[in-house]
Amino acid sequence: MQASQETDAYRAEMRATGVFVAAGLLWVGTLALARFGPELWGDTRQVATWAAVVANVVAGVLWIVAFTRLLRAVDELQRKIMLDALAITLGAGWVAGFGYVVAERAGLVGDVDVATLLPVFMGVVFVVAFAAGKIRYR
Amino acid sequence: MKNRIAELRSERSWTQADVAARIGVSRQTVNAIETQKFDPSLPVAFRLARLFELRVDELFLDDQV
Repeated sequence: MQASQETDAYRAEMRATGVFVAAGLLWVGTLALARFGPELWGDTRQVATWAAVVANVVAGVLWIVAFTRLLRAVDELQRKIMLDALAITLGAGWVAGFGYVVAERAGLVGDVDVATLLPVFMGVVFVVAFAAGKIRYR
Repeated sequence: MKNRIAELRSERSWTQADVAARIGVSRQTVNAIETQKFDPSLPVAFRLARLFELRVDELFLDDQV
């Protein structure tokens, strides 16, 4: 029974990880399609562009669901490390985003493509915070 | 929280990976518990206690006492 429980937990975690990775790749793929598709099929085919954007959003929702399931499948320390990293990422994104808004309104900084840079910034913050958590509990 | 996991593990010649596999957590979790960097949840504490055939309060030592 004990060995079965351990194996079940490991299999569940591996399955959740696989689904998460697959959903992530699907999101990246649909993002690329939404970004570069219009350049391929031209501005006149807005229905196709809308479809690509909607597909990307749907893929994103699936990715979020897969991530929450992954959080439930990993063990408690791994879950703590991920949640700590997510908290730092949310805070950093919030602070950086609004910091930029007020600085830009005050004329202190130039116009920057925040819609692109902020998600990238948050992604980097998450990776660094996650790595720091793994090192802390090594 | 102080605990006797490393001592008991050593008596049985088990690695941290062995303990981790037996209770269904990662090796990193077992290491973090042993080195007092992380306190386990009750279910994990009870699984550890069952593994070493002890009560939870015999396995984990209350720092406040």
